[in-house]
Amino acid sequence: MIKRPYIIAALLIAAGIFVFINSSKDVSSYANFNEAYGNRVKVVGTLSKDKPMEYDPENKPNEFSFVMKDDKNVEKKVVLQQPKPQDFEMSEQIVVTGTLKEDVFYADEILMKCPSKYKDEEIAVKSNSI
Amino acid sequence: MQEIQYLGEHLWVGQIGHFAIILAFVSALLATFSFSKDTFSSSGHPSWKNLGRYSFYTHGVSVFVLIGLIFYAMYHQMYEYKYVFDHVSPDLPMKYILSAFWEGQEGSFMLWMFWHIVLGVILIRSNYKMESPVMLIVAICQVLLVTMILGWQIPWGDSVFKIGSNPTLMLRQTMEAPIFNNADYLSLIKGNGLNPLLQNYWMTIHPPTLFLGFAMTIFPFGFAFAGLIKNDHQSWLADAYKWSVFGAAILGIGILMGSFWAFEALSFGGYWNWDPVENASLVPWITLVAGLHTHLIAKHTGHGLRSTYFYYLISFVLILYSTFLTRSGVLGDSSVHSFTQMGLEWQLVILVSFFFLTGIGLWLFRYKNIPQPEKDENLYSREFWMFIGSLVLLFSGILITVSTSLPVYNTIMQYFNPTFEGRVINDPVAHYNKSQLWIGIFVSILASASIFLRYKAINWEFNRKKVVKKMLIFSAVSVLSTFLFAYFIPLYSWQFYIFTFAGFLATFTNIDFIIDIFRQKMKLAASGIAHLGFGLMLIGLITSGLHAHYVSTNPFVFRGMFEDADLEKYVQLIKGKPLMTKGYILTYESDTLIERERKYKIRFQKVDKDLNVTENFTLEPNAMYSNDMMKVAAFNPDTRHYLHKDIFCCVVALPLAMQDAVEAKKQEDSLRFETYKVQLGDSIKIENDIMIPKSISFRPKHQEYQKHEHDTGLSVLFDWVSASKDSTYSGETSVGLDGALLYKYPESIEDAGLRVRLEDDIMTTLFTGEEKLTYEDVTLKIGNSLMVDEYKISLTGFDKNVTHRHYTPKEGDIAISAQLEIVNTKTNNAVTANPIYIIQDNMPMSLKEYVGEEGLHLRFSNIDPQKEEFTFKIARDKRPDSFSFSMAVAKNVPRSDYVILEAKVFPAINLFWGGTILMMIGLLIGWYYKKFRKNPTPAIS
Repeated sequence: MIKRPYIIAALLIAAGIFVFINSSKDVSSYANFNEAYGNRVKVVGTLSKDKPMEYDPENKPNEFSFVMKDDKNVEKKVVLQQPKPQDFEMSEQIVVTGTLKEDVFYADEILMKCPSKYKDEEIAVKSNSI
Repeated sequence: MQEIQYLGEHLWVGQIGHFAIILAFVSALLATFSFSKDTFSSSGHPSWKNLGRYSFYTHGVSVFVLIGLIFYAMYHQMYEYKYVFDHVSPDLPMKYILSAFWEGQEGSFMLWMFWHIVLGVILIRSNYKMESPVMLIVAICQVLLVTMILGWQIPWGDSVFKIGSNPTLMLRQTMEAPIFNNADYLSLIKGNGLNPLLQNYWMTIHPPTLFLGFAMTIFPFGFAFAGLIKNDHQSWLADAYKWSVFGAAILGIGILMGSFWAFEALSFGGYWNWDPVENASLVPWITLVAGLHTHLIAKHTGHGLRSTYFYYLISFVLILYSTFLTRSGVLGDSSVHSFTQMGLEWQLVILVSFFFLTGIGLWLFRYKNIPQPEKDENLYSREFWMFIGSLVLLFSGILITVSTSLPVYNTIMQYFNPTFEGRVINDPVAHYNKSQLWIGIFVSILASASIFLRYKAINWEFNRKKVVKKMLIFSAVSVLSTFLFAYFIPLYSWQFYIFTFAGFLATFTNIDFIIDIFRQKMKLAASGIAHLGFGLMLIGLITSGLHAHYVSTNPFVFRGMFEDADLEKYVQLIKGKPLMTKGYILTYESDTLIERERKYKIRFQKVDKDLNVTENFTLEPNAMYSNDMMKVAAFNPDTRHYLHKDIFCCVVALPLAMQDAVEAKKQEDSLRFETYKVQLGDSIKIENDIMIPKSISFRPKHQEYQKHEHDTGLSVLFDWVSASKDSTYSGETSVGLDGALLYKYPESIEDAGLRVRLEDDIMTTLFTGEEKLTYEDVTLKIGNSLMVDEYKISLTGFDKNVTHRHYTPKEGDIAISAQLEIVNTKTNNAVTANPIYIIQDNMPMSLKEYVGEEGLHLRFSNIDPQKEEFTFKIARDKRPDSFSFSMAVAKNVPRSDYVILEAKVFPAINLFWGGTILMMIGLLIGWYYKKFRKNPTPAIS
């Protein structure tokens, strides 16, 4: 008779393999805009600072749009379903999650990489306020 | 270059601090050496152990002195020190000094060492048999932790190899800047201060609790190490249990505090985000709890010893791994918890690898020696199912760790292949929930069933019927409860039905267990309480997690191309305008700025179908400005707590001009003002709208005007008839004169996107300067009156308490203000005036009184005490009968009077908090009875 611990171990390993196969589609590498058509992906890129940004909080508080350039230098308009994030202009790198539809990337999540406040070693000089 | 003699530096703090670090390092090394001598020698001579103890005490004192010195430097704001400069600022309230201390990496390492020392001393005082090997582990860990703050720079070829970051370094040693050419540079600098996000009391209590939990986990590791190294697998079991159970309780409380902080004070809008750092601290807790269970098995039956060793060893290694994740920068920007990177990566790798290799290596080496009963556990014994439960927990830990380690995998792959594209989890929350849901279900069912079983399956044949009956009844009740529950709160999918069922099952069976046990022995209820908490937590997760919903959704908004209704999470609230949202009327009533915090008062009115208000309350979320007040640094939420739900509310965005001073300036500069020459009563057509200046007031009511003092001021009241909005707005635009400066207070009519400003000419037209005035003398006695042109002027009295913003009282002054009543006999307008007469330093002076509405300038010029006569000078503005003036109008001005708000209801979230707290209480009860009640009785059997 096979010992019980081995049966348990076998069961757990089987469950583990099942979970990992099942989860493998949760994971993807960063895509670029060309791969984003119809798929939910994360795209890395930089803000095209010369192109217009639109945020109209009075009418659409949940919508902010800008133009982003991906790592293949493809530019697309991104519509983010969130208010404009703070310090957005200062971002060095942007990761957006969403889907490309009709040449516009609709994103519901954004991550920004901003320059750290500790990197620029400036010394704050006391302001002579009156 | 000549050495500069700097002014005002306190060099002794750094010198003693540096010495304390070296001493702490050397004494920890000596403690390591001594305890290892005692561990590996068989002679049993006590001198090595004693030397170890005294070295450890010395180490403790050095670290305490170091911590004390850094606090001292922070308290006295010695900005010559880099650590003080980075974390303190002159405006930082003293209550945040603790938070500032452990905001930085060095400070949090010291906090960790602090707890190791306190706990190490307690362990030494407990006189355990295994003291030396346990303390050996603690001492080695202290050696490695002290290296993190050593700050040695070792030249290595062209580059410099850095060991640790010394918190006692001076600012001028860490950077080069021209300011250090000034010997008095200290008077010119101020610190960076504490990140505004961290300025709340959670930052004061969460880190020390969590680090106490971290520090506790070294002891299970130490005891396991001791058992393995001594090849004595019994004697440590009794001593170690209370350390492990207390550690699990404190670590759990620390994690919960973080979760509560995130929910209560941060803008995440939730209590668990599967953030890498949250995961990294949760996993060691899970494995430690798994170890506790096998530990109990081992004590009662002798089974499960190998697993206990493994769980205890791996828990501490996972704590170190979580430290590596947060501090090495490997997580990048994917986590909110990351410290700023400091170049300690390799040291952290060494720290993790050392304990991993030592612990697991020794475990494998001794594996065959660890006793294991020949016979398998009985299928109907408690230990068998507890063991299965611990495997499920381990499985959960492995799943979370693998997913969390994805950034580490990416970093390693990129090290070998720079073009490797990093992998990411698309939707972390869904990813983790998917697998952890099943863990929750299994653990919950095991926690229900196993409590009816007994160790070694004693009396199984006798109890069998009763157990089966109970399980059937409780399962039936739970199924029923689940469906009843689903009737009120939709469960969406069959997985959630099972999950809810498991939660109910654990809740009911453990309540039954606790009632049963209470009749026997209170102390045995610990596991029942902890498991009950687990069951309640699952139900709470369903109600508050799955069923959290947004109030801040405007159901009347036109839905465009987004099918997903969940995307409408935020609403815009305009000040003073109620907005009907899902079930609530929300009103942004007011906002107040106190120091760096702007509080928004938001009224919530819950309405039923007939629009009757059933609940009425206000919440005050805020915006914290950065230390330099230039922009908003953080939004903090406010939550209303009920027994059965929480209502959470947070500002997520503000008008750009309110959020950022630079943007505000840009916006102000971009406004195009057009100037119109107007007369009172005119109707000026501006595009499709009409502006009507109606009247002039000399008592402006403008809010900003009221905040300042002026010599005089005036405002123009006007109407604005907007054709496009089909409404008329009234406004008041003001100017104020202070000396030669004219201040302008434009009126904003937000609804019309309008700003109206007065130009200089109205003041110069109506107000005549001193040099062009012709004064007339008027002499009066008290009670007398006199006519000057159309004015009847009466002197009614005096006041010797003179206050005036241009008058600074001095000793020996004579100062009197006269009370004049002036009636314009043409219009019957009566005003009072109080001109002032002062003799200061034998010089007579008069302070002018100006009556704007009549255009009168009045001075009190002389007193004749003999005749009791008082002389005044009166002059009149040279005002034309009819005149025109300029009004400047800007259109299309962006609104600045609104907030973008997120409001969310978390139903029955107290089930979640209550459940998790019960788990911790269960653990603490278990610890209490092990620690303070001697003569342990074996568990129910």
